[in-house]
Amino acid sequence: MEVDSQKQLQRKQSTYLSLDENFGIQREVYRGQQYSQIYFARLHMMRTLLYSLVPNWKSHLPVCTVLGLEEGKECIIVGTLYKHMKLKPCILDEYSKERSATPLVKPHNFIHQDDYLVLEDESGRVKLGSTMLSPSVYVTGVVVALHGKETTAGDFFVEDILEAGLPPQIERPLKSREDKYVVFVSGLSIGSSSSNPLQFQLLVDHITGHLGDEEEQGLAAEIVYLVIAGNSVDISHRLLNGQNLTSKDQSRLSEPIKELDILLTQIAASLPLDIMPGSSDPANFSLPQQPLNRCLFPGSATYNTFRSCTNPHCFELDSIRFLGTSGQNIDDLTKYSEAEDKLDFLERTLKWRHLAPTAPNTLGCYPFTDRDPFLIDSCPHVYFVGNQEKYETRLLKGLEGQLVRLICIPRFCETGVAVVLNMRNLECHTITFGTQLSS
Amino acid sequence: MNKSGNPRKRPPQPSPHQPYPATKHQATVPTAPPPPTEEDIVDEDVFFEENLMGEEDVESLILRDFEERQALASRLSKWARPPPSDAYIFQSRGVVFQQLEIDYVIGESNKDLLPDSSGLAAIIRIFGVTKEGILDRGIQIEGLGMKSFMTYESNVLFALRFMIDCNIVGGNWIEIPAGKYKKTEKNLSYCQLEFDCLYSELISHAPEGEFSKMAPFRILSFDIECAGRKGHFPEPTHDPVIQVANLVTLQGEDQPFIRNVMTFKSCSAIVGVDVMSFDTEKEVLLAWREFIREVDPDIIIGYNICKFDLPYLIERAQTLGIAEFPTLGRIRNSRVRVKDTTFSSRQYGTRESKEVTVEGRVQFDLLQAMQRDYKLSSYSLNSVSAHFLSEQKEDVHHSIISDLQNGNAETRRRLAVYCLKDAYLPQRLLDKLMFIYNYVEMARVTGVPISFLLSRGQSIKVLSQLLRKSKQKNLVIPNVKQAGSEQGTFEGATVLEARAGFYEKPIATLDFASLYPSIMMAYNLCYCTLVTPEDVRKLNLPPECINKTPSGETFVKPNLQKGILPEILEELLAARKRAKADLKEAKDPFEKAVLDGRQLALKISANSVYGFTGATVAQLPCLEISSSVTSYGRQMIEHTKKLVEDKFTVLGGYEHNAEVIYGDTDSVMVQFGVPDVEAAMNLGREAAECISATFTKPIKLEFEKVYYPYLLISKKRYAGLFWTNPKKFDKMDTKGIETVRRDNCLLVKNLVNECLHKILIDRDIPGAVQYVKNTISDLLMNRMDLSLLVITKGLTKTGDDYEVKAAHVELAERMRKRDAATAPNVGDRVPYVIIKAAKGAKAYERSEDPIYVLENNIPIDPQYYLENQISKPLLRIFEPILKNASKELLHGSHTRSISISTPSNSGIMKFAKKQLSCIGCKALISNGTLCSHCKGREAELYYKTVSQVSELEELFGRLWTQCQECQGSLHQDVLCTSRDCPIFYRRKKAQKDMVEAKQQLDRWNF
Repeated sequence: MEVDSQKQLQRKQSTYLSLDENFGIQREVYRGQQYSQIYFARLHMMRTLLYSLVPNWKSHLPVCTVLGLEEGKECIIVGTLYKHMKLKPCILDEYSKERSATPLVKPHNFIHQDDYLVLEDESGRVKLGSTMLSPSVYVTGVVVALHGKETTAGDFFVEDILEAGLPPQIERPLKSREDKYVVFVSGLSIGSSSSNPLQFQLLVDHITGHLGDEEEQGLAAEIVYLVIAGNSVDISHRLLNGQNLTSKDQSRLSEPIKELDILLTQIAASLPLDIMPGSSDPANFSLPQQPLNRCLFPGSATYNTFRSCTNPHCFELDSIRFLGTSGQNIDDLTKYSEAEDKLDFLERTLKWRHLAPTAPNTLGCYPFTDRDPFLIDSCPHVYFVGNQEKYETRLLKGLEGQLVRLICIPRFCETGVAVVLNMRNLECHTITFGTQLSS
Repeated sequence: MNKSGNPRKRPPQPSPHQPYPATKHQATVPTAPPPPTEEDIVDEDVFFEENLMGEEDVESLILRDFEERQALASRLSKWARPPPSDAYIFQSRGVVFQQLEIDYVIGESNKDLLPDSSGLAAIIRIFGVTKEGILDRGIQIEGLGMKSFMTYESNVLFALRFMIDCNIVGGNWIEIPAGKYKKTEKNLSYCQLEFDCLYSELISHAPEGEFSKMAPFRILSFDIECAGRKGHFPEPTHDPVIQVANLVTLQGEDQPFIRNVMTFKSCSAIVGVDVMSFDTEKEVLLAWREFIREVDPDIIIGYNICKFDLPYLIERAQTLGIAEFPTLGRIRNSRVRVKDTTFSSRQYGTRESKEVTVEGRVQFDLLQAMQRDYKLSSYSLNSVSAHFLSEQKEDVHHSIISDLQNGNAETRRRLAVYCLKDAYLPQRLLDKLMFIYNYVEMARVTGVPISFLLSRGQSIKVLSQLLRKSKQKNLVIPNVKQAGSEQGTFEGATVLEARAGFYEKPIATLDFASLYPSIMMAYNLCYCTLVTPEDVRKLNLPPECINKTPSGETFVKPNLQKGILPEILEELLAARKRAKADLKEAKDPFEKAVLDGRQLALKISANSVYGFTGATVAQLPCLEISSSVTSYGRQMIEHTKKLVEDKFTVLGGYEHNAEVIYGDTDSVMVQFGVPDVEAAMNLGREAAECISATFTKPIKLEFEKVYYPYLLISKKRYAGLFWTNPKKFDKMDTKGIETVRRDNCLLVKNLVNECLHKILIDRDIPGAVQYVKNTISDLLMNRMDLSLLVITKGLTKTGDDYEVKAAHVELAERMRKRDAATAPNVGDRVPYVIIKAAKGAKAYERSEDPIYVLENNIPIDPQYYLENQISKPLLRIFEPILKNASKELLHGSHTRSISISTPSNSGIMKFAKKQLSCIGCKALISNGTLCSHCKGREAELYYKTVSQVSELEELFGRLWTQCQECQGSLHQDVLCTSRDCPIFYRRKKAQKDMVEAKQQLDRWNF
């Protein structure tokens, strides 16, 4: 493709700061530790925070531990929620004696009307009863403060609930008056039957400025960053069954990765990009997922514009803070709780100040011993989640003036949609790439 | 009596050899046992006053630390029963109550009630609960005077005799009209109401209508924890009792109204549970005794309480010198005795047990009930509750218990939660399996006290009915002393030759409904109708009045003399029919439970009558009856087979020739040859009807079910899909196929189940074969989940006592040498796997602890599992289906690649030098990850490594969060070491594999 070189377009620059340090597990080792410590760390951090909020909420009430509850006495307790779920799949079922001919559970959602919540701290747990606390909203692992009293049956009757709320936000620098765009894309799924190589090539050509007229190239030149939020390749897992691979299968394994590398090389040559691992990528399973190994990308990894990142991923561009995942945290919430739309889940995780409350309970996670890396202590300006069904976005305003752009990034291979964010005003739009002539 | 009663239970006071007869009513001094001459007429239910202790002693002991107790007493008093209404106190009202326990003592007869007689009399004591649930009494009924010498019925237990004479059945309601009873002057018991009356004044109500209900009994479920020393099972002489958890539930309610735990040393609070902490162990024990007295439970339940918890508490109290502890019964100052008993029954086998007698309270040990009523592969509380409640229980190893106890209030709380759970599970099992309903109904049907049901065999139940019936008929039963089985055995039931094969056409099953009872009724078989050939001649009985059985015995026909047994059976079966009809009508769930329990009890009782006549070491064996019954049974099966094969033929106008493929005791399997279920059902019904017509009533052949498809392996071994309606099958039914055998590893069970599922339900034989091949390949390639290979056996005695060397005993010895603290002790179950060892090593030398195997990478022996575990069951299933099954399944190409792990602790490894090798081709390299040839394959090889890690991570997360779930806590580490848990080894393995996989992955970070 020939480029009209009469007018040189200069791609805009921005300063990048990686904040992924927290999500690294390079120094962590499996030493036989269990999951209790991460819950303990989470409870400890969140409790300190919630205790500081209680005086502004209900200062007249005493604060108790679960142990210190007395029947009929109104008080506030802080602890981790645990949702007892009837339909929750259980690994012990694999060993059950009588196998039923038909599966009982529809696999997309495990909510049942008999589910109930339990609040737990280090000292013990108490069953929660109330109409104001809906079990379908909350999930295991969320730390909250509850106002209520113990009933004669030994339950805790909840009258009010306090979540930690949006974390404080660093003020967004307003000095930048020019349009700078960040492009988000997820679910490229190269190698899967639904992926269309031409579609992605169009995207690459577009953002590298090889497409369209000058105006369009001008727009492309304002793209300062590309974020690939997970599930870039789709490798048939069936090939790995413990037997030795035939050479044909060997190449079938590495083919999608090679293809991805070629495309990424084209991008990295013209603008910086972050690639995050997702559930179908050649990375570890449990969160935080570690960066995709550079040996997978012999071509693109030679560019310093190529950054392989963790999932969850946190970074700053021109002092604007981005936080996002490849979608596992929100997918898990949709299995174990209910909301009107996906953005509600995003909002909840921010208000609970926890990226992935269901980890480790139903979402795989590394057994941290001294910290919980998923706690959100500073509110991002942009919060994105990859691999969702459709594009959704909303501007969330906090009580203390926080302003967060929430984005659900759709799977590219199914929709052909990439999301573009303007850093100047946090406005968001999509670009759709289609390869069919008639639509 | 002195010898069999536990002599240690006697109080430390003097004069154990006072002269007889000082048996006084209100004993203030301990008295000597009666002379040995009485021994043979005395049975276990008599309470001699040797067990009573000086009243003053108790009072003074109690007074000693009176103040400390006040606090406790006020705490406990809130659980006391509500006070009885005035109407009872002033004796103005008749008393109606459900009796639970009956025993008796020998004592001075009551002068007021029986002014004419004097001297010793047997005093019956009945304990029970009224409808309001507030009252609870001991009654003393004067009666009977001294026993005279009897030749007939003298071997009948006295309590039973009394019940029969007064027409009382176990667990029924009894009324004493107002004015007929007298309050005792001095209360001998802790009961709220206690009075004397004459036995003839009792009104016993038949369990019908209003009187079929259950009184609100108080049921106490408890569990104790002991701090054992490392490497020893807790012994009461050394190891303290540290916690006792109690739950009290009212019969018919679903939540306990008291939950508490008594702990030695401080313990943090538990929500909804009253935690009582004490500084000394003595206080714990005394608090528990106080609690028992205050709460006054009618039934005490628990898991293994009879053999462990109760004797332990009592022996521990003795070690600590707490003389007043064992007064747990309802009789004032009466001590609880512990004695060893052996229970032996043909049906249940011989079991050693301890008998703890607590007067006035029924003990119900769930473990005993489980062992009696259910065949399970393991009877640990964990596996029982997993089986019935589908709930895993956290299992804390007893070596950890001491550590938890020696920690702080938090760790002791942890222990208390565990202890409470152990007390709660028996209660849940009791409710779930309706033990109370079923056992009370069984007691009512058979007329024996509830306590007999657990502690005795079947024969007492039949005997009780026999005695009742013969009393009505004015007959007495001889006191037959039967020693051993000198009468020899007789021919048992018949089994028709099984034509093994896989039947893909519906197989109809024709069953005889209650075959043996029907035969006894049809041919009037009874003790009282049996006549010898000489008698026939002597009495000149006409041939039309007698029946000659196929075994050659002669019985008279009912028109001459109706037998007692047939009459009992008729009543039982009629009652069952009634109960079943009522069950259909019943709406109320409690009433339903009662009725269902009753019909079940009636069925079991009817079937046990035959066994009673055939049991050679029982009260009243009569092989003439039992051999006649089985001979008739055999005849009937043959007869049915002949009729079916004669009638249902192509010549007879049917589409196919019918074929009897198998027949067992009371059922015949017929292949009518029709291809669909509905047609088979119609033919089955037709056959049942026309064959029934040829039998003497009430023998009846019924058609119930169709098997389709049906896999008949050999006699008593088959599997099939079970159809009762032509639309959809009900379930998969298997018999005699390795699915529950204890000494098989889980792999066998899973494999057999999966294969049957594939063959019968999916109808996919090639799929089943492929599945077997894959599994065998996995086994040989060392990809098998270790927990599937674990074999578990109970260690019942120490190594020296076993005559032959057994794998688990040898292993226990070896483990003791390694680390005495965690080695299994007598009573524990020992899990092991079979490992590869030197050629020619015996199987018992190749057993190894699964954990040790995991930690040291010891290779398991796939050949052992292939040959000794899975081959036989597999071939059994596949031989009727496949030609050359053995060759195809066990020697195919899938068995040719084998992988064996290298042990990390073997001798040779100490000399081996570890070197880096290329991840791709295993070539040695000096540094880096890949050799020069494999460069370029990074993506593929990395993908393989990382996908291993990712699989493991997923597994790790699921396994460990499941354990958190079972444990019921997120913030505390999982301690559970339940080796019964299917995921225990997997969890351990995941943890270990994770470390290795991570190391592999880290090699890529160059």
